[in-house]
Amino acid sequence: MNDPNTPPLIPKPAFAGPPSGLPAPPPLGSSPDEQAPIPGVVAAIESILRQPRRVMYQLRQAGSNRLIAGMVLVAVLCSIIYGVVVGAFSGGTQLWAAPAKVAAGLLISALICLPSLYIFACLSGSQARLVEVAGLVAGLTMLMTILLIGFAPVAWVFSQSTESVTAMGTLHLAFWFIATYFGLRFLNAGFSAHEDRSGGGIKVWMAIFILVMLQMTTAVRPLIGTADTLLPTEKKFFVTHWMDCLKQNYDSESGRRAAQTR
Amino acid sequence: MSALSANVEQFPDLLRGDPDALKDWAHRWQGARVLGYVAVIFIGAGLYGAAMGWWRSPTQAGFNLIKFPLVILLITLGNALLNGMLAPLLGLNLRFRQSLMLVLMSFTIAAAILGAFAPIIFFIIWNTPSLARQTQVPWAAYNFVQLTQVVIIAFAGTAANVRLLRLLQALGGSTQVARRVLFAWLGGNLFLGSQLCWILRPFIGSPALPVEFLRSDALEGNFYESVVRAVLNLLSS
Repeated sequence: MNDPNTPPLIPKPAFAGPPSGLPAPPPLGSSPDEQAPIPGVVAAIESILRQPRRVMYQLRQAGSNRLIAGMVLVAVLCSIIYGVVVGAFSGGTQLWAAPAKVAAGLLISALICLPSLYIFACLSGSQARLVEVAGLVAGLTMLMTILLIGFAPVAWVFSQSTESVTAMGTLHLAFWFIATYFGLRFLNAGFSAHEDRSGGGIKVWMAIFILVMLQMTTAVRPLIGTADTLLPTEKKFFVTHWMDCLKQNYDSESGRRAAQTR
Repeated sequence: MSALSANVEQFPDLLRGDPDALKDWAHRWQGARVLGYVAVIFIGAGLYGAAMGWWRSPTQAGFNLIKFPLVILLITLGNALLNGMLAPLLGLNLRFRQSLMLVLMSFTIAAAILGAFAPIIFFIIWNTPSLARQTQVPWAAYNFVQLTQVVIIAFAGTAANVRLLRLLQALGGSTQVARRVLFAWLGGNLFLGSQLCWILRPFIGSPALPVEFLRSDALEGNFYESVVRAVLNLLSS
């Protein structure tokens, strides 16, 4: 009998298909737990954390649209809540602008990347239908954002006790990377269960998705600090933007230390 | 009253970290037990904090009586949601309340150990020249007290986490999964804990500065920025 405390296994390597030499995971729906319907959003949140294969199985069933819509709704709500924490650093306009930008940025990134994921999945030999791929992306965004909610109290404590935009940006980025890691692990497990022959295509898509999301943070800036306009007037690559922020931080730090020395 | 006496009777089992007993307690969320743990944290960590603060002044000791347990409880609550999510994602299917209970148990063990060392710290402080009457920091004494604190806190933390690891192993059946969950929890707790200690400073306090519950700049800057700043200052000097 299975230990009730041991969740169903997710195939091991984070960003690759089932490795050669290790046994392939059992087919989806092989356990009665996985076949149990997911009645609402709370059950969807529970399942994606504890029984990810149940979500994957339900996405294959007819009428999975409701589950997908529920997961998107949770992702939007959670990103709005996390956005409020992001905006709390600067306050004022950012209290509503940051949540809107975080939620819109996440949804737009997912939508932009969805067609390429479907193509990469087909190229990798996956049998997944478009609706299932959309469901896996919805699951990815939901898992990412509920994890961000877990980080929200920590982020809030820091946002109230620092004035450095760079420090806050680094912190949010670190939380985002951890959340994205788990989200992409779910997506990868979903494709492994869809008899994806090689994980190569999915790996490339994951890199693209990460780049798109990172660029989105620059495209909708400012998310943390303030600016004269709601959206940027100058176009920048995210690496350039980060370098500019670091330089600005270094200059102000040098100025502060020079003033202290005087 | 019976719940309280049951709590007291079961306390040695908690300190021994007997996985069979603790497994059962982790599965059942009981208000009286949780209150008992919170009380142990307030008494144990509070007394230790007071002993630490006594070196600066009795007022600082009084402040620490509240602040030290507060740090522990705020870490537990602040990371509760995150810890509850990380456990199943890392392979241990704990419910939210179970993960909260496990972290609380581990902090209770640490607080009990700290509380037990509080008289020794009081004794060391009693034998050390008081900071309050100094115009210059007595560095030898300061370093000795600091080192003693580090050793005791490290011992309490290690003992509590060894018990937590054993319990996680018993719950999940795998050493690898238990280690993964423990290190993820530890990472999060240390990260938030450092910042909470920074906000709630001073715990001892410089003799040149007044005794306060919180510094007026408590919410300015963060622990990690100050570390980076110190390193930069060191490199540029």
